[in-house]
Parts: sequence; C-alpha cells; structure tokens
Amino acid sequence: MRIKVNADNCTGCRLCRQVCAIKHFSEINPAKAALWIEAKFPDPGKYKPHVCIQCGKCAMVCPEGAISRDTSTGAYIVDKTGCTNCGVCVSTCPEKVIFQHPDLNHIIICDFCMECTTVCNVDAVTKWDVMKPSIEAGKEA
Amino acid sequence: MADGFAGTTLRINLSNGEIKKLPTDEKLMREWYGGRGIVAKICYDEVPRDADPLGPLNVLVMTSGILSGAFTPGGSKVEFGSVSPLTNGQGDSNMGGHLGPALKFAGFDLVIFSGISPKPVYICIDDDKVEIRDASKYWGMGSLDCEHLLKQDLGEDFEIATIGPSGERGILFSCISHDFGRQAGRTGQGAVMGSKKIKAIAVRGNKAIKVHNLEALYKHTYDIIQRTKEHPNMEPWQKYGTSFFIRWSNDNAVMPTRNFQTTWYEDVEKVDGESLVTKCLVTHKACFGCWMNCGKYSKAVIEGKKTVFAEGPEYETGALCGPNLGMHDINHVVYINYLLDNYGMDSMSGGGVMAFAMECFEKGLITEKDLEGHTMKWGSIDDVEHFLDMVVNRRGIGDWFAGGTRKAAEKIGKGSEKFAMQVKGQEMSGYDGRWAPGMLLSYMTADIGAHHNRSWTITVDMAEGRETTEGRAKIVIYLQHIRPLFDTWCSCRLFWGELDITPEEYAEAVNLITGWDDSIDQALKVSEKIWNLNRCHYLERNKANGRTFDYPPARSWEDKIPNGPGKGKGVSLEQVETMLDDYYRERGWDKNGNPSRALLEDLGMGFAAENLGKAGFLGKPLEGGIPKVRGEKYKPKAF
Amino acid sequence: MIVYLKAGTQLREHLKPDVDYYTRKVETPEGMTLKQILESIGVNPGFVAFAYTDGKMKNLEYIPNDGEKITLQPPVSGG
Repeated sequence: MRIKVNADNCTGCRLCRQVCAIKHFSEINPAKAALWIEAKFPDPGKYKPHVCIQCGKCAMVCPEGAISRDTSTGAYIVDKTGCTNCGVCVSTCPEKVIFQHPDLNHIIICDFCMECTTVCNVDAVTKWDVMKPSIEAGKEA
Repeated sequence: MADGFAGTTLRINLSNGEIKKLPTDEKLMREWYGGRGIVAKICYDEVPRDADPLGPLNVLVMTSGILSGAFTPGGSKVEFGSVSPLTNGQGDSNMGGHLGPALKFAGFDLVIFSGISPKPVYICIDDDKVEIRDASKYWGMGSLDCEHLLKQDLGEDFEIATIGPSGERGILFSCISHDFGRQAGRTGQGAVMGSKKIKAIAVRGNKAIKVHNLEALYKHTYDIIQRTKEHPNMEPWQKYGTSFFIRWSNDNAVMPTRNFQTTWYEDVEKVDGESLVTKCLVTHKACFGCWMNCGKYSKAVIEGKKTVFAEGPEYETGALCGPNLGMHDINHVVYINYLLDNYGMDSMSGGGVMAFAMECFEKGLITEKDLEGHTMKWGSIDDVEHFLDMVVNRRGIGDWFAGGTRKAAEKIGKGSEKFAMQVKGQEMSGYDGRWAPGMLLSYMTADIGAHHNRSWTITVDMAEGRETTEGRAKIVIYLQHIRPLFDTWCSCRLFWGELDITPEEYAEAVNLITGWDDSIDQALKVSEKIWNLNRCHYLERNKANGRTFDYPPARSWEDKIPNGPGKGKGVSLEQVETMLDDYYRERGWDKNGNPSRALLEDLGMGFAAENLGKAGFLGKPLEGGIPKVRGEKYKPKAF
Repeated sequence: MIVYLKAGTQLREHLKPDVDYYTRKVETPEGMTLKQILESIGVNPGFVAFAYTDGKMKNLEYIPNDGEKITLQPPVSGG
C-alpha cells in the first residue's frame, strides 16, 4: 500500500500533518508528522506534498541496520531502540520525509497507516493499492 | 497552566530591547478567553486614554486563541489588537494562514509589544529563542516581497507576518500580511506595527499544544470532517470561495458601485467569481487545518504590466475594488489586490479611499494638477496605480488620503464628507445599506466603524422587509455577540455560517480543549462584555456621547438609490434615529448611546462603570430598567 | 421532469428535503427557470446566492435538465 500524491490539488491546509502526529504521538504537533508540504510561493503559487515512496535507501544506509521493511504494508519501519538518531537516513532520503525531533531519540518515518488520506478533502494524498518492492530511488510506480 | 494554553506570555519592550517571558495570566484568560477578548482588556488596562496610537504608549498585542492550532474546523487565526489610529478606539483584526498555530507550537499564547524601537527590527521566535533582530535589509520592501526573502533567509518552515511601506510610513489603514495572501486588514494594525518599527514577526515552533481530552477532541473534529465533506455547500465553497457573492450582491442591489453612488453594476460579469476562477485562478489555498480551502490564489496578466500573483480577490476586495471602482476586467481587480497587499494596505479601506478619490475627481474637487498630471477615472487601472503610488509615498494630496476617507474629506471639504463612506473613520464594507437597514445599523454601531464582520444582516433584511427597521436592533446585537466570539476563540466563522456546525459544537470543542464547562450562553456573555468594554474605552478616548459617532455618512439617507433593482429605495434620517434609539434601549445604554451602570454591573464590569463615570460619560439609568437579555437570535419565518 | 435540489443551513429546512438529509425531489414542467421552480415550491429565490451544478455556478435564470442535481447556496455569513 502506498500514498499517491496529486500535487496539483494540494491546498496547503496541513490537516494531514496534524492527524499524523496525533495518531502516532497523541499530540497536536505537526513537527512530529511523517510527511511535509512544500510551498512554492509567490510564483508559481503551488503546494506539493512529499510522502515516503518506499525506495528503501534509508534502510540501505542505516549504519545500525535499524530500518527494515514491513512486507505486509511496504513501509520502512524503524527499530526505536536500535536507532541512534544519527540522521544519516534523514539526509539520504530523496523526498526528505524522515524527521527528527528534540523530544525523541529516534527518527520518525511513515508507517502507512493511511490516516492522512482519510482526512484530505481534495485528494492530494490518496490510498494507492500497490506494493512496490523496487528500491529505485525517487521513482514512482 | 490550564490545558489549551501554551503557558507563556512575551512582553517585548522595543524602546529598550527588553524581552520578558512570563507565565500566561490564567485568570485573565478564563475571564476574557483570549483572542479579541484579551487584546481588548490589555489595551483598556495599559494604554493611557490620551496616548497617540502611533506613539510609544500604545501597545500592539498579538495573540492566538483557544481554538487556533488545536485541531478544530477553521482553527487557524492570529489576532492583532491595539488602539486604532484610524478610529481612535479599540481596534482589532485577525487573519488565518498558519501564524496563530505557530505561536502556540512555539510555546506562546500572547505577545505584547510596547514602546518604539530606535531602528527597524524584526522579531524572531524560534521555540524558546526570542530575538529582536536588525531589519535594515528588509525595511522598505513590499510585504509580500519581504515575506519571500525572510523565508529564504530564515527557513521555509517559519511563519511570518510583515508590513509593507504603507505601514512603515504610518498610512492609517495599513494592514499586517502573512502567508502570501492573508491580512489582518482593518483598523490600521499595520500602522501601529510600523510605528514601533517592527518590519516582521517570524515564528517557528516544534512543541505540542496540550489539550484536556485529545481522544474526544479528535473524534469530535474527525466526525465533523467526514460530515462536512458531504455538505452541499462544501464543493461550491471549495471552488469559488467568497467570490460567488459578487453576483448575488449585485442581483440583490447591495453592490457598492462607483463609491456607493448606486447599488447595481452593469459590468458585473467581468469581475465576478466565475471570471475569477476561469481567468485568474492558480491554486485553491487553505488556512491551517481547514478543509474548505476557500482561498483563491490568482495570477493577473495584463498587457504592458508585469504578471503578478495575489490571493483573492475575496468578496470584499472584489466588490470594493471592482464595481466600486468601475473596473471592467478581473485581471485588473487581481492586480489592484496585489498592489494593496504588497504595499501593505487594507484592501477594503484601499478600495474605499480610491473610490472616494474617483468621485472627487468626477466632481472636480481634485484635479489633474493635484494628481501630478494624471486623472483618477472610474475603471482606470493606470490611474489606480499612479494614485496608490502617491498615497504610499505621501506625495502631494496622496498625504491627505493616507489618513483614510474621513481625513481626506476634512481636507477637501466642499461637502465631500457626505460621500466619504465611513463611520468612526473606517471605510465601509462591500454592501450598501440603503436597501438593507439592518446592515446600515450594523455599520453605524460596530465598534470599529463601518465593518460587517461584527454583524451582517442582509438576508434578515430581505426576510423581514428591506424598508422597515422593525426588530433589527435585537438581531444586530445578537450577531455582534456571536460573530466576534469566533475572533475571541481565534477561529474562522465560515464553518459555522456555511457548513452547519452549531455554536454548541464550538463550545464543546472549547471545553474538550480547556477542561472548562462553559455553555454557549456563557461564551456569548463574554462576547457581550468585550463589546461593552470596547464601547467604554471608545467613549473615554473620544470624550463625547456615543451617539455622536454612530451616524452613517449622509449619502445613506440623502441619496436614494438612482438605478438598478433598488431604484428609489433608501432609508430616511428618521429611520436612522429610530434604529439608534431601538439599539441603545436593547443594549441597556441610554439615549445618548452611553452604557448604563446597571448594564455594566450586570456584566460584572463595575470597574468600567467607575471609569466611565469619572470620564463623565456613564449612561443615565434606563426607564423601566435594562433588558434582561440583550440581543435575540434571528428565527427565520418568511422565507 | 424531475430535478433534485440540495441545500444546507436554514435553506435546507425550507426546502423540506425528502430524498436524503439535504435533497428535495421536485416534479416540474420542462423549461422552467430555477427561480420559477423555487417560487412554485414556496422558497423565496432571493435567499439563494447562486446555484451550483456539474461543477459550475449558475444564476437563477438557469433552466435545469431532467434528472439534474442542483445545489442551492444561500449567503449566510457574508463577507
């Protein structure tokens, strides 16, 4: 399962980021979301959601081997005790969708719970029923 | 600190650069809620009654509110307040975007700016780190340009409020801008910010907003999300935003046309919502956590001019800078929106000021010589551009208009005050009140002049009779409590107004966030208190009976509507006086428009009665006593 | 022919929906404008800011087609 981004529809409301953080951290704190919205203003005046594309580069570069693929969802999951919060995966991720936060001693990465897709009212992020085992960086199916 | 509040208040003294972090006053927040309420109380308490609004003794208050950022529908606002240089009374204005939430994520409920900085600065709030930084690089820039540069310099994840050259130069209707298209537009908050030499406020926060019952709040809002997705109004609002009102206003003869000379515009289809979405729309743009995305980010392409981007025009700008200026092309209206936004001028007052100038030119009261060889003709985008350049630079008669239409009319004289469409110094919103008496009463009695945000009654006027004043006062009073309640909670009111979310549901969200147990009636009482506090403050500053200030411009009763569906209609001066009498009685104020002791004490505001008494404007006791309940919700009967 | 009129807020109550929470089914002769249809079912057309159908805004002079679903948008909060 993946998330399809229809960037043209995005309105920048950030509802997706709010529900992501609430769902995973029981906090109203978008800084703990696992996706981000790029804003290109004033010109051309468009938003673009960035979500995990399951390319697997993070798992490849993690020096602790703390990131592994959940074969049922396709998500890359972090072992919170194994992760040293070194940040190598953060700088490697082509979509910049791995996050660190001062409160946490591990990285934040999307687990494809799909909550964001249930609130978006403009189909900017939607459920995409496809499994993509390929680790071609930056390429969508 | 109570749930729902970040916990810290910042006091920044710009005269000496002192930054103090204090625990947020819980008692104050409990009594006045936040947002509009807190700015009203702070200004009432801290600004001397004879202080110059552009001087060092005024404060500029920036605050978030209970609903802002807290996962609620439309919970996105940031509120600014100060004593307004435009009206000389309490002024407040808010805007959506993402700044209000960011303030709470950074850990602050409230920022109070005092004094005046010796040189231009910007404020940088990065979680706990608060700094006053040199803004010489940015001073002089357009507000949109400045936000763009600051985002490049500081980081895209900062939320930024800016002023433009208009605010820097103290033009009285200057606004504060944010998110490439949102403005705290009215009452000249940008002029106050500029007087303190604050060019921008940049905020970034990574903390959580602690709420009382997150699980219940999440369900409450999640259910509302799913329910409103199916609401019939959702799709048209997403597509058109407020712009669809343009045709309706025109069809129903309330469209301000050529400086409110008439109320129906013959070329409306060239500047309406359909033309906006088909010719200029680039992106539907939303505020924080809003899934109605009513914002319309647009592009203006005009031969011979540079292509520009602006959010809008929203209805008000679309009306006041469209038919009100006799414009014939939606691209021109978008362009005017951009000019006003980048200069940092309120687009509503901006439209009103320009329309006034155009009528003065039409009547020969200002000439080409006054306008540096240019004209100021209806429908001319080039004239508009040159005129605004004169105003923002305070060149020649541009300086007269920099004070708004009231001050411009004082300078021009020759009876022009009759068609300076303002009350208490602030220009009228985009609806003509001559065939909608409740709307006229709304303009007359709003605390901040001729603004519709407090009370909007056109559909009530249509239902109850457009030529009678019967029952209007009670309804206006109720609306003046419920609508600004959203400004107090720092929430957009469009979900309530358009998508059937009830006030009780909002009150429930407030309780889930704070752990309080306030009913909607208690919340409305807070709103009534704020209303009366602002009235007392206004009277103490302006030193005359309230009635003195509550009249609309003479055009309202002297000029009947000359053409269109409303031809021949208009209120009489007698109706104006009757509406005021009704309104004051229903408010518990005396015939002079002054709040009575009984009313203020009923609201637990004995202190305000004492102060008003000392100033000599405490209202005389009412015969028969004050109404037990002030204001009544409108129950539509005749549809 | 049949048209389906949808509305929320106070307009919904006056529309008297009978198909679902928001929708009223109206049987009407062909060629009637929305304004005339509304008047025929006792709804004041002045309270409809505009109609919205098939993704487009229409005014009340619009003549609906058979089976068309039309949203009626009242102007409630102004501004």
